[in-house]
Amino acid sequence: MSRIGVFLCYCGSNIAGTVDVEAVAEMARTLPGVVYVETNKYTCSDPGQEGVKNAIIEKGIDRVVVGPCSPRMHEPTWRKLLADTPVNPYMLEVANLREQCSWVHKDKAIATEKAKDLVKMAVAKVARLSPLHSTEIPVHKKALVIGGGIAGMQTALDIADAGFKVTIVERETSLGGKMVMLDKTFPTMDCSACICTPKMSEVGNHPNITVKSYSEVESVSGYIGNFEVTIREKAKYIDYTKCTGCGACETKCPSKVINEFEQGMSKRTAIYKMFPQAVPSKPVIDAEHCRMLQEGKCGVCAKVCPTGAINYQDEDKLTTETYGAIVFATGYKLIDWKPLYPEYGGGKYPDVITGLQFERLVNASGPTEGHILRPSDNKEPKSVVIIKCVGSRDPNKGKAYCSRACCMYSAKHAHQYLDKVPDGRCYVFYMDVRTPGKGYDEFYMNTVHDGAQYLRGRVSKIYKEGDKLICKGEDTLTSQQVTVAADMVVLETAMVPADGIDELAAKFTVGRDADGWLVEAHAKLRPVETNTAGIYLAGTAQGPKDIPDSVCQAGAAASKVIGLLNKDKLESNPQISRVNEALCQGDGACANICPYGAISIVEKQFRENSRKVTRPVAQVNPGLCQGCGACTVTCRAGAMDLMGYTNESIMREVDALCQW
Amino acid sequence: MPVVENNANAIPEDWEPKIIAFCCHWCTYTGADLAGLNRMNYPANVRVLRIPCSGRMNPQYVIEALNKGCDGVLVCGCHPGDCHYVTGNYYARRRMMIFKRLLEYEGLEPGRFQVKWISGAEAGKFRDTVMKAVEDVRALGPINLTREIPYFELPAMPDDDEEAFNAVPEEVFPEEVNA
Amino acid sequence: MSAQEIIRARAKELLESGEIATFIGWEAGRFTNQTTPLVITDAADAGKLVFNEYCANTLAKYVTDVLARGKVGLVVRGCDSRAIVRLINDKVIKREDVYLVGVGCPGMKDRKTDEPLKKCTECRHNNPLVFDEMAGENAEKAVPEDRFAEVKEVEAMTAAERTRYFESIYAKCIRCYACRDVCPCCTCRECFVDQRRENWVGKQNNVAENRFYGLTRVMHIGDRCIECGECERVCPMDLPLMKLNRKVIQDMNDLFGEFESGLVISAEPSVLTTYELTDREEFM
Repeated sequence: MSRIGVFLCYCGSNIAGTVDVEAVAEMARTLPGVVYVETNKYTCSDPGQEGVKNAIIEKGIDRVVVGPCSPRMHEPTWRKLLADTPVNPYMLEVANLREQCSWVHKDKAIATEKAKDLVKMAVAKVARLSPLHSTEIPVHKKALVIGGGIAGMQTALDIADAGFKVTIVERETSLGGKMVMLDKTFPTMDCSACICTPKMSEVGNHPNITVKSYSEVESVSGYIGNFEVTIREKAKYIDYTKCTGCGACETKCPSKVINEFEQGMSKRTAIYKMFPQAVPSKPVIDAEHCRMLQEGKCGVCAKVCPTGAINYQDEDKLTTETYGAIVFATGYKLIDWKPLYPEYGGGKYPDVITGLQFERLVNASGPTEGHILRPSDNKEPKSVVIIKCVGSRDPNKGKAYCSRACCMYSAKHAHQYLDKVPDGRCYVFYMDVRTPGKGYDEFYMNTVHDGAQYLRGRVSKIYKEGDKLICKGEDTLTSQQVTVAADMVVLETAMVPADGIDELAAKFTVGRDADGWLVEAHAKLRPVETNTAGIYLAGTAQGPKDIPDSVCQAGAAASKVIGLLNKDKLESNPQISRVNEALCQGDGACANICPYGAISIVEKQFRENSRKVTRPVAQVNPGLCQGCGACTVTCRAGAMDLMGYTNESIMREVDALCQW
Repeated sequence: MPVVENNANAIPEDWEPKIIAFCCHWCTYTGADLAGLNRMNYPANVRVLRIPCSGRMNPQYVIEALNKGCDGVLVCGCHPGDCHYVTGNYYARRRMMIFKRLLEYEGLEPGRFQVKWISGAEAGKFRDTVMKAVEDVRALGPINLTREIPYFELPAMPDDDEEAFNAVPEEVFPEEVNA
Repeated sequence: MSAQEIIRARAKELLESGEIATFIGWEAGRFTNQTTPLVITDAADAGKLVFNEYCANTLAKYVTDVLARGKVGLVVRGCDSRAIVRLINDKVIKREDVYLVGVGCPGMKDRKTDEPLKKCTECRHNNPLVFDEMAGENAEKAVPEDRFAEVKEVEAMTAAERTRYFESIYAKCIRCYACRDVCPCCTCRECFVDQRRENWVGKQNNVAENRFYGLTRVMHIGDRCIECGECERVCPMDLPLMKLNRKVIQDMNDLFGEFESGLVISAEPSVLTTYELTDREEFM
C-alpha cells in the first residue's frame, strides 16, 4: 500500500480566501493510501519546504501530492525538493488549487468542493505512478555545420574558436555560398569579396575546422549529443593531397560549360574552380562534361598537371562520424521566376535579368569585369528598370512572404548603376519600401537623392519594341499609367529554400513550414533551435534574411552549440514513452506517428512458450523522445505507455473524478 | 426494440453538471492558468485533467468518463500548427473527428463531447468554452447512459402467433449426414 | 477441373514437395451443406478438402495459429486475401510466410436458409487481390450499390432512437469476444479487455462495460477493417456489428478520402496515424 503525503497550501489568502483548505485536508485524510495531510500558509517558502521534507522522513511517505499553485509555476521546485528526500522526484502530483480553482471561483462552498475533487484526482494518480530516473547521455564534443555560406562559416568559426571541433559540409566545390557572388554589401558598400573571402580562408585554415567541400549528408541516426552522420564526398577526380591549385589544367581543358557561378553569363571549363578565391583552392572535374570521363578520350588535364594529381578513377567516399550537435545553414536560392511571370517575358528577353545576375555584372571579377553591359549586345544600358517583389508578397504567383533583403539591395543596385553610368536613368517599381535596420533608411534616401526614380506600383507587362524593353506599369501615387522604355530590366526575385532541403530535413526530422523553410522550436523564444534537440538553425535556412541578420543568427546558433558541447553529459527527461515488449506486436504505427523519429522497430529474440522467437518490437530512443505520448494512442494493445502520464494513472484519475 | 425505462426519473433539484476537461499542458492548461491570473470567473463544474498533448488523448478515457457518470467531456489542445510536439494535434483532430461522429451515431448529444483548440494566450476562450459547455450540458440534463442490463419486453415476433412461438425449431435435431 | 479438384491437387503437391508445412481449406461438416475450416499437414488428407458455396469461414486468421510449423498454404477468396494483406501490413505475418491459392468466389450461402450470406451480399471484392496461383477462373458477382446503406438507415433515426438501439445491442452482448477472435485486424498480443492493470473495462457483463468494449473495438479496428463481415456472422447474439464498423469507415471515407483497407500490401500508415494540413477544421 502506498503511503501518500498531502501538502495543502493557503498561499496566504490566495487559496484560503475562496477554498476552505482545512475542509479539503479533512477530506484528504479519508482517501485510501493517504497517511499524512498537512496545511501550510506558504508551502513553497523555505520553512514550508522544510516542513514537507521533515514530514516525508518522519512519516515514511513514499509519494507526494501538493495542493498549491499551478504545476507550471512550481512543479520544478517540488521535484527539486523531493530529490533531497527518499521520495523519487517523479512520485509527485500537483493539484492546481490556485489558478484553476480559488482564483476563478467566488463561492467558497463551490470552490471547496472543486478543490476536494482536484485533490482526489491527484491522490488517485499519484498512487499509480512509479519512480522514474533520468539517464545520462554522453555528449560528443564535435559539431557538424551543413552549408558553407556566410551563416555556416560564422557558426563554424564561433564554435571552433570556443575550442570545439567542427566539420562543415558544403555541396558546392567551394565555401562562400551566395555572399561571395555579391559585389558590394549594403549599407556600408564594403566589397563583399573583401569581407567574405578572408572568412573563407580563416575557415579553411582553422585547426579546429574540417571542410568537406563537394559533399552531402547521406544519412543520419542518433540523437542529441550522439548524431551519427554519414557524409558522401563526391568524386572530385583530383587528389587534393597532390594538387597545388596552380590552375594549369583549367587553362588547357577543351570542354566549355555554362558557368553557374556567373549566373550563366559566361563559360567555364569542365575541370574548374568555382571562382579564383575558392576555398579549398583546388579544382574538381565536372564528370558530366568531362570528355575523358564521358567518352574516354582527352586526358589533357592529366598531361599538363605538374604533380600528377588527376585521378580519373576517383569514386564517391562515404565517411561516418559522430557529432554532438548539428547546425543547418543550408541557405536559400532565388525563385525560378520564368514560369511564374510570362508577362515579364518568361525568360525570352536576355536583358531581363535577376538581381544576382546584376551583382555579377557589376562585380569587377564578373564576366564584364565590372562594366554594366547588357547581356544581349554588350551595350551599356542607358535606362534601367528595377522591379521589386518579383515572387515575394505575391500569394497568387509566388510567395506570400516578404523576402526582407530586396528593398535594400534594389536601392544598392540603383545606386551602383547610377554610380557607374552617370548619364543613365534608373526607375524602381516598388510596392513598399521597407528599410528597418541600422543605416538602412539613410542608404535608401541617398539612392533617391542620387536620382533613382521610385514608382509605387507593379509592372504589369514587359515587351520588346525594337531595341527597347517596354515596361508598362502604374504609378499608384499619381494613379497614372506609366510606360518606361528600358534597355535592361532587373528583377529582384524572392528567396526560396535551397534545393534538396526537403529530403535533408526529413532525414533529420526537422520540420518545414508551408513555404519550405525550416521551422524553429519557438518563433520568439527559441528562434535558433529546432524541435529536434541538438539541431540548430543559422541564416536563411530558417527564412529570408540579410547578411547582418544571418551572421547574428549564426552566432546565436553557435552559442547554443557551445553551451551543449560544454557539457560532458546530458540528463534525459524520464517522462518518456516506454515499450512493454511482451505486448508489442511491432506493427510500427507508433514509429509512423512519432514526430521525433524516436521509435524504431528492431528484431529481437525472446523465449516464448519454451521456444526461441525472433520478432519485431518497438524501441524508444530516450535521447530523442520528448514525451508527447502520441504513440501511446496508436498502440491498441497499450504496449506503448507514457511514463508520468500512464494509461493506468489517467484512467484512475478519471474514475476518481467520476465519484464526485 | 423497447427497453424498459430506467432513467426516467426527474432531474434532482441540486443537480449540477459534471464536466471533465482534458487539457494539453502547453496550450490549454496554460490558457486556463492565465484565466486564473486574470481572475476570470467561470463555473466550477469543470475539472481539468492535464495531459502532455492532445495527441495523448485516448478515446477510451472519454468512454470511461461518460460511462462512469460524467455529464460532459471537453478535450482541448493547441491550435493546429502550434503543437508543442509539432504534430500531435493533427492526429488528435482526425481521431476526435471520427470518434465524435461515432459517439453521436450511438445517440450521444453533441454538446456532451466537445473538442476545442485553445492557445496559451486565450484565457477568454477557455472561459467561454467552459461556460458554453456547462450551459450546453445543463440544458441536456444528467447523462442518461444505461449502466445495468435492463429488463426487456420480449421482442414481438415477426408473425406474432402462438403456434410459431411454440414450434420446435428444426435446428435442435439436425439430420446428421457425415457423422 | 473444378476449383475443388485443383485445390486438392495443389494442396497435395505443395505438401509433398515440402514447400509448405500446412494447408488451410475447408472440409465437409457434420451437417448438410455445412463446412468447417480444415488444417492439414499430411498430403494424404488433401482429399478431405472441399470448396462449395457453403464455405462461410474466412481462413486467413488461422494462419497465425499454425505459422510456427512453417510456411502455410491456404485457399483465398476476396475476403481471405484482404485479410492476409491486412495481416502483412500489420506485420503479423510476412508475405513469404504464406502460399496463396486463389479462387473466385461466387458468394456463399447460409446453410440453413440457402439464402446468400449477408456478408457476401455486401462484398465488393469477391475475387482474390493477392495470390500465388489461381484455382480456376475469377467469379462474377453483383457489387452492392450502396456500401453504407445500413449506416444511413441508423443515421436516419433520432438521437433518442439511436441511443435505445445501441443500448439494446449492448444489453444483448454477452462479451464472448467471438468478434474479436475472428477479426483479422484484431491481432494484439494481448487485447485491452484482458489488461487488468489499466482495468480499461470491468469484468461485469453490463451495458456500460459492453459499451466500452463495443466503442473501443470499433476505434481500434475502424481504420483497418476489411469489411469481411465475419464479426457479424460469428456473433452468437446476431448483433449488427458492421453497422458500427461501417460508420467509422464511412466517416473516414467522407473526411479523409476514399478508404478501403487491405487491398494492397503497403507500408503506408493507416488513415488515423497520418494527417493532412488541409484536414477539415471543426474544433476552432
